[in-house]
Amino acid sequence: MTWWHRLFHRRQHEEQLEKEIRHHLDMHTHDLIGQGYSPEEAQRQAHLALGGTEQVKEMCRDARRTRWLEELLQDLRIGVRMLRKNPGFTLVVAATLALGIGANTAIFGLVDALLLRPLPVVKAPGELVLLVRGEGQGPTLSYPDFRVLRERNEVLSDLALYTQAPISFGNNVRSEVVLGAMVSGNYFDVLGIKPSLGRAFLPEEDRTPGTHPVVVLNHSFWQTRFNSDRTLVGKTIVLNSRPFTVVGIAPAGFDGESPPMKVSLWIPVMMTATMREEPTQTRHDPLSNRHDENFGAIGRLKQGVSITQAQASLETINRQLEQSDPTAPAQRVNPNNDRSLRLFSPRGIMLGSIRENAVTSSRLAGVTVLMVLLIACANVANLLMARAATRRKEVAVRLALGATRGRLIRQLLTESVLLALVGATAGLLLAYWINQLLMAFKPPFPPPFTFTLDLSFDIRTFVFTFLLAIATGVIFGLVPALQASRPDVLPALKDESNAEGQRVRRLNLRSALVITQVALSLALLISTGLFLRTLRYARQIDLGFKPDKVLEVSFNLRLQGYDEAKGREFYRLMVERLERLPGVQTASVANLLPLGFMWLTTPVVPEDREVPPNERIFAGSVSVGSQYFETIGTPLLYGRDFNAQDTIKSTQVAIVSEKLARRLWPEIKEPGEALGKRVRVGRSDLISCEVIGVAKDSRNNIFNRLDREPEPTIYRPFAQNYSARASLIVRTDGDPRGLVSGVRREVAALDENLPPQELQPLSETVSLASWSARTGATVLGVFGLLGLALAAIGIYGVMSYSVSRRTREIGLRMALGAETRDVIKLIVKQGMSLALIGAVIGLMLAVAVTRLLTSLLYGVTATDPATFAGVVLFVICVAVIACYLPARRATKVDPMMALRCE
Amino acid sequence: MKPKSDLPQGTLDLLILKVVALGPIHGYAVAQRLVQVSRGVVQVPQGSLYPALHRLENRGLLTADWKLTETGREAKFYRVTRKGQTQLETEAAGWQRLTQAVSLILKMSEGGAG
Repeated sequence: MTWWHRLFHRRQHEEQLEKEIRHHLDMHTHDLIGQGYSPEEAQRQAHLALGGTEQVKEMCRDARRTRWLEELLQDLRIGVRMLRKNPGFTLVVAATLALGIGANTAIFGLVDALLLRPLPVVKAPGELVLLVRGEGQGPTLSYPDFRVLRERNEVLSDLALYTQAPISFGNNVRSEVVLGAMVSGNYFDVLGIKPSLGRAFLPEEDRTPGTHPVVVLNHSFWQTRFNSDRTLVGKTIVLNSRPFTVVGIAPAGFDGESPPMKVSLWIPVMMTATMREEPTQTRHDPLSNRHDENFGAIGRLKQGVSITQAQASLETINRQLEQSDPTAPAQRVNPNNDRSLRLFSPRGIMLGSIRENAVTSSRLAGVTVLMVLLIACANVANLLMARAATRRKEVAVRLALGATRGRLIRQLLTESVLLALVGATAGLLLAYWINQLLMAFKPPFPPPFTFTLDLSFDIRTFVFTFLLAIATGVIFGLVPALQASRPDVLPALKDESNAEGQRVRRLNLRSALVITQVALSLALLISTGLFLRTLRYARQIDLGFKPDKVLEVSFNLRLQGYDEAKGREFYRLMVERLERLPGVQTASVANLLPLGFMWLTTPVVPEDREVPPNERIFAGSVSVGSQYFETIGTPLLYGRDFNAQDTIKSTQVAIVSEKLARRLWPEIKEPGEALGKRVRVGRSDLISCEVIGVAKDSRNNIFNRLDREPEPTIYRPFAQNYSARASLIVRTDGDPRGLVSGVRREVAALDENLPPQELQPLSETVSLASWSARTGATVLGVFGLLGLALAAIGIYGVMSYSVSRRTREIGLRMALGAETRDVIKLIVKQGMSLALIGAVIGLMLAVAVTRLLTSLLYGVTATDPATFAGVVLFVICVAVIACYLPARRATKVDPMMALRCE
Repeated sequence: MKPKSDLPQGTLDLLILKVVALGPIHGYAVAQRLVQVSRGVVQVPQGSLYPALHRLENRGLLTADWKLTETGREAKFYRVTRKGQTQLETEAAGWQRLTQAVSLILKMSEGGAG
């Protein structure tokens, strides 16, 4: 008989055991009667000889060793029965747990996608390593460096190279800018990827610059843009106005080595010079320039080589490279103090600054949802304890009948784990919904920087949720189980439910839980408060420009093959056409937008005084058309705006920001005195300009931090400082969105193959700056209020319980003449003492937690007194209400009824 | 009535195996037989008899069928399996060696005293 056979024939087995023992007793009795005993005495003796029949049976069951499983099944059966017997209780508990577990599952899914998940599709992702110089994770190598590292190392089976750039892709229907990657010929081999159609790159395509225009397409790009056309391989497509032959389609799900950026197509690195968008006009060969450190490298470790060994070995080569290069770091495109080489395995998202943010946010979110779960656990534990009070008789009976305490605890824990699993199932659904919501909060990067994050649940999410549910069940179930199974059988059986010691102990435990809840929700809400303050500050900041009612649209004419003359003409005509659209006040052009994605700086030197090289002033370098200041809403304080007379042939002129004027000429009292002075602008080919105006300072810089002070800025006429990449801005009478289709039409009228980028209200680009604060405030706020609601229910529950226990005492007090007010005071005082202790602990907790937030806050410190005080007040108000309701009920007690009730 | 000795630890299983090996037998008869063959010297606690039977059955050393007794009642009859037979032989041999060794040691100390 196998063990499962026994397990599933339990009833049959029980019957046989019973029969066997009965047979023994009958035989023995029979024999004893034969020996001359009376039948009664014989029966008694037989039982005595055997010992307790139940004990013997129990020992026989033990001997069968499947007992624990049988008991588990039995416990589960009892558990399910208990849950079904109290559907209301089950629903409340399961819903509470669903919130707690669901929040954790959602955040785990997010953390998994952001930080943990290995690269999809590639072969053995654990062997892959990214090579990075210095801090961060972006591309930091030059092509010559890559060649040396690839040839000299003995720790990698191979090393591949990649660099990304926006590429203009045009077909007959429409054209658009997508993210492309230039990769070394062995790229797909190193990753262990076989194209799903066609082939990867050939060795000869990786040898000579500019000779092999071939391309491998992303699978989903091929599906959406070419309708999965299998005959596409071998045909040509147009990239940056140049024909490329499609040689292969990458396997589905592969989006490049740097998620969350989604690469749409791969081109041999030998084509780099013809593909890349240069932010400056300087042209150099990226494949021979050791200072062009815009390449990344990904390698595969040899069998048996650890990542640490490989790093040490590669760093040796890197150091030799560094020493062989005498040029100063300042001359590098990517100046970096730390030049050591680091290796790490690609997991989650690989974008340096975003990853740092993700680590901070994940830690924060993790702490938050864990707190919510703990609050939920405390609530459920409280409910279980309240219920345990009603089940004391049942427990006492079972203890009296010989159940061991351990057995009882196990059964109670099975029940709570069962509850947790029910909650977890609902939690999974909730997590799915939360994740949908979270995706709505993804940073609104404009294309081509599509931010893809796969938040679908994988097996790890399910395992995590399952384990979390079991842990949760034990956490919230253990204390109530220990308490409920305490073997004080006699008073329980005698119905002395008011035994003083018992009451105090139980209340103490429940009080501790309430204190925990108040403390946790207070800490959460303080974090929320800090984010809200940050948001308010963000709204109050004087940006120095007015993004409302402004529509922007960007172009990159170089990708479209425009030369400078054609480009100038395009921008001039576009401004004219946009100005004529109905509802447009003014229109202009600029190479950079404030708080946008790009920022350029340039050294500026006053001509009338000597500035030592190490005190050179750097200013934002912006080229703008006439009426730019009016359109963007930055006041021009002194002098005149650029106009049609400022052409490439006329005198070079410039408008400086207030701050730049004061930096360049510290001696002047009014920035207006800068008018007429001359400056030299640029790194190498210095341009001498006359200052013709002074503009108000405006927040500029890169998008991700709103709190940085405005940088000094120099504005030059677009006509005198052309840029192929530029944005048109339009100030409208009403909602700028209403103009979108009109702008699209005007662009198509000039060039129907030109893809407009970032066609959106300027306020949307600016809103990226406060994205992290908004997301933080929303997520924390939701969880914080959730926690507070749970805590309020907890306080309410404990106070109700306390009131019901003290009915008699309250009745007595009222019979002796206590006023309603006195009774309320009595109860509220008791509850508030818990809330206050919780608040104090919560404050200390908040100080620790908010330290995590520091990097995400601005305009407010992590220990902002106003926020702390406000939240404490709010939490105490909620606590008072939660205490008052049961207290008022206590005063409704009829003294006579209360005194008689026992 | 001469005093009865308690059963040495671990020997109950061996004794049960031996008794059952003599032919199919039900629990009560095993208890009777143990008392008889040990001539009342060994105290077999009836309470531990059944758990031992079940343990041996669980280990696959015994197997059981329900049959009618001579008095016409249904009873659970145990038999020794082949595995049980082997186990009995090894354990019996081991027991022999142990008792011989023990008595040898006991004699030696008697000699030493004399």
